Amino acid sequence: MDPILRRSSFFYVTALVTYLGLMGRFMLTRDWTAFELIPLFLPVWLISGMLASEHDERYAFLRTLPLADRAVVRTKFTLILSFVSAAWLLMTAVAAFRTGDGVATPPTLVYVTLVCATALLVGALYQIGIWRFGIPVMFPVIGVSVAAGLALAVIHVANLKYRDEWPALSQVGLVEWLGGAPWVSSAVIVALALWAYRALMRFGVRVKAASEAHL
Amino acid sequence: MDTVLEATDLTKDYEDFSLRGVSLTVRRGSISGVFGPNGAGKTTLLKVLAAQAPVRSGKVRLLGQTYETSERDLKNRVGYVPQEPTFYPDKTATWHARFVAPYFARWDGAGFYSLLETFRVNPLKKVKHLSGGQKKLLSLAMALSHGAELLILDEPTAGLDVVHRRSLLDRLRALAADGSTVIVASHITDGLDEIAEDVTFLHDGRVVLHAAADDLMTRWKWVHYKDGSLDRAIEGRFATFRRQPFGNRGLTDDFPALREAVAPALASDDARVEPASLEDILLSFVKEA
Repeated sequence: MDPILRRSSFFYVTALVTYLGLMGRFMLTRDWTAFELIPLFLPVWLISGMLASEHDERYAFLRTLPLADRAVVRTKFTLILSFVSAAWLLMTAVAAFRTGDGVATPPTLVYVTLVCATALLVGALYQIGIWRFGIPVMFPVIGVSVAAGLALAVIHVANLKYRDEWPALSQVGLVEWLGGAPWVSSAVIVALALWAYRALMRFGVRVKAASEAHL
Repeated sequence: MDTVLEATDLTKDYEDFSLRGVSLTVRRGSISGVFGPNGAGKTTLLKVLAAQAPVRSGKVRLLGQTYETSERDLKNRVGYVPQEPTFYPDKTATWHARFVAPYFARWDGAGFYSLLETFRVNPLKKVKHLSGGQKKLLSLAMALSHGAELLILDEPTAGLDVVHRRSLLDRLRALAADGSTVIVASHITDGLDEIAEDVTFLHDGRVVLHAAADDLMTRWKWVHYKDGSLDRAIEGRFATFRRQPFGNRGLTDDFPALREAVAPALASDDARVEPASLEDILLSFVKEA
């Protein structure tokens, strides 16, 4: 196993396990609101895992090794993609399972995919930001983003619970429409997200090679 | 001449510093010293040569290849020791050895541990508990353990005690004798002047002198003489000149050309000639600038 992957994966696996352990289990036991809310916490967990991994990363050391920047970028992007893919697969499996008892609906599958696709691209952008500006600059940015993400999720939960007119994200028009053919929609979203992700990865190689802020 | 490194017109900009059109050639099997005051651009130059930092313009050709086309192969053949080596602080030297081994084509694990033993670096101690000098030695051990043909060392003797410094200088000399090429940078000559065969002086991001050390030692001399024993016109030819109450002294950058003019004073013991050190030469350039 690639040593960088082995070292960094510890943080991502820890984040994934705590995410699914703490929150994912609610999808198995709670009502439809679990499917509305739990995916929203995915980007927060992903970025926390990334922050823990990047905080201890030593890119200056890695640059002395016979290893092109392209290989490092590919490894880091593989981690982000693996994290999101694992979360998406498990959430989709649980959602598909719970369509049987009516808790999850076809738009739920689309919604989970949309949130995961967003998390994937946001994660990639933050990773590129770390290479471009370095951890000291990105640390507060990521910290504020995580806090804001949590705050918005909590506000959404509270409003969903106490205000009847508050819209559920998994039930807005577009998601409902895409839910008409959930597997096709999900496949298209995944394809588009992967295409954008690949473009970001190429951009990341250029950014990392040209930058010294992360060293 | 078998050239190992050819850098042409390297330019790199930082907010408060620029490397300006630096060109450099290094012969195979030589020890090349890059000297200059703090902020001269030595570290930046070495980073560029070791592909640690991108350049704005210019070209680096190493061992017949460029980083653009053969980065992986070149980094296998180049050992780089940065000014301030970076490691994972919570990990040991042993962990680092296991980490890097898969990346190097010719990693010599036994050699690495043998070097650590020589350098008296505990392989089981976390890096954060090692001293600055020990981190430097760990970095050196890594650079010397993958069969590098070219070593690029940024202030390798900084932070080392006299025993390790001497041992390192001997090792570098032996490596060069075996055909490896060494480039060392330092702001102080600190023993490196004894082993450097080629010397490059950097000042304010430019190369101000690039010459063979022997040639420098032949040409650069201190001339100490009694006032009036030398023609006043000669004083104008000194790179550095100081009139003192008990005898004047001048540093010449071309003693062979001055020899005839100084000969009568030397014969009458009114003058004497002493070799100049690299530090003297470096200082004269800094003052001139």
